Amino acid sequence: MRGLTSRPNTMIVLGLAIASVALAARDPVWTDTWVIVGVYVLIALSTGISYGQAGILSMSQGAFAAVGGYTAAVSTLRFKLPPGVDLLIAAALPALLAYGLARVVTRLTALATALATLALGSVIEIGLRNMDNITGGYIGLAGIPGIGMIDTPLKYCALVWAMICVCVLMYENLVNSPFGRALNVIRHDRVRAQADGVNVPQLLSAAFAFSAAMAGSAGWLYAHYISYISPNSLDTQTSISALLMSVIGGSGIILGPLAGTVFLDVLVRHLPAQELQGMFYGGALILILILAPTGLLGLVPPLLAKFRANRGSRRTTKAARVKPEAAQ
Amino acid sequence: MTGMLAATGIRMSFGGLTALKSGTIEVAAGTIIGLIGRNGSGKSTLFNCMTGYFRPKVGKITLSGRDITGLQPHRIVEQGIVRTFQTPRLDFDANARAAVLCGFYPARTSTFLGALAGLPGVRREERRLAEKADHIIERIGLGPQRDQPLGTLSMGQVRLVEVARCLAANAKFVLLDEPAAGLTREEQLVLCGQIRELAKQGIGVLLVEHNFFLIHELCERVTVLEEGAVIFVGTPGDVARDPGVLRSYLGAAAEYAGGRVAE
Repeated sequence: MRGLTSRPNTMIVLGLAIASVALAARDPVWTDTWVIVGVYVLIALSTGISYGQAGILSMSQGAFAAVGGYTAAVSTLRFKLPPGVDLLIAAALPALLAYGLARVVTRLTALATALATLALGSVIEIGLRNMDNITGGYIGLAGIPGIGMIDTPLKYCALVWAMICVCVLMYENLVNSPFGRALNVIRHDRVRAQADGVNVPQLLSAAFAFSAAMAGSAGWLYAHYISYISPNSLDTQTSISALLMSVIGGSGIILGPLAGTVFLDVLVRHLPAQELQGMFYGGALILILILAPTGLLGLVPPLLAKFRANRGSRRTTKAARVKPEAAQ
Repeated sequence: MTGMLAATGIRMSFGGLTALKSGTIEVAAGTIIGLIGRNGSGKSTLFNCMTGYFRPKVGKITLSGRDITGLQPHRIVEQGIVRTFQTPRLDFDANARAAVLCGFYPARTSTFLGALAGLPGVRREERRLAEKADHIIERIGLGPQRDQPLGTLSMGQVRLVEVARCLAANAKFVLLDEPAAGLTREEQLVLCGQIRELAKQGIGVLLVEHNFFLIHELCERVTVLEEGAVIFVGTPGDVARDPGVLRSYLGAAAEYAGGRVAE
């Protein structure tokens, strides 16, 4: 019990996941939507770790997800691996790529690092398009089998939200560890982190690898669910969306990316007219960034503080009112 | 605890400029050693070489006889040699407790994957570290202020937090870069008391200072640098009497003071 109460974000997301999956179960369209939203939540969460925690403005989260998806496709279609086992590879392969890249580039400036991740994303995309005999080139791979016992959209929905809960738990564990604190210090001041005894490139690479593994597992689920993957399924556009989602929700806050993903999804659904949608969407994003520079969830702590202060002052005024009466 | 942190014949140049020709200094465990010199005399360069921020071209840095020359800063910290900064590099929104917790990084026993999985050992360690942080803060006399943001503390208290962070890292040697800069005399006295306390516990302290008051109060021995080379080693009393040092170091201050008097 003690373990659970010390992880409030995990508790919240667990409650939300159970409630939302139960709701989504009532309508097949909602169920399908909620699986895809879940995949995006996972990718956005991975951006929360790479950008919000490690400070790497990553433009390759979509590509990591694509690697995960293709791994799922290739290992089940070609090598006939049982689906489930391929999750390990789908998480490990992007993690290795991310670790290798970060070891080399994190000593550069933040901008150079961001560009390097963009380049890695492009290289992966081009690779997927051109390795025809393995990845099916532009056409992609179809007929990817489902994950064993997971055979209905509802089960996928439950699975992806369970994965989100596990990822949030790991994320929250990280934040509450010496490594999470060290990542904070690195974002604030690298020289200070060195003086604390932190091997900066190594820790940043480890965090980036963790984020890539998360994106890879999102791609894994996506490929098995849709049963088809092509170079356009998860690309740089996905990376940018994920970055937007996590920034809008609050990239430094654990549940920020989740809030951002759901918020943007709802926003897109309620915006008028297809042609003008981009305009409204862009306008809304700019408005949010101006009003809530630390993201939507960044607004919560000041509001809570205000609420508490209000309640506190009301109590004191009441006390002040009571006193003279008592004196009479 | 015996141990010796020694730098011998350190030479360091930046492009055509030789900042340090021959830096030599020894700090034994449990002693407080001063390093003084005018601006540009090479004391910061020597300090940065000893903490791994610069890699010297010539010369050797040893810890109890083991060569640690050119190790990366985090490796030096792992050896128990911890530094502070002249301008405190701290997150001023965080509180003292959080700042000290960050110092425990080299003392951690958990692995990255273990932390992600939230293994019971990691959680136990977290609780142990939180208690230890409170203990260190108590010891350094900041108990009542431990939950305040560092931005609300006085400069003197912030310096103490820096020292506390070194203690958290299990320091055997603490290298202080001008810790008295910007402190009032009372704050300096509190800091002096804490530095003496460190030495009593067997920690070797190297003090890079401009402030002769602090050097005089604390140091057993003082090394004076001038144009990148050692010109004098002795007790603070000897230093104050040595004509060469007076001319080179205190002389400049004396001339300055004299100039002010003339005005």
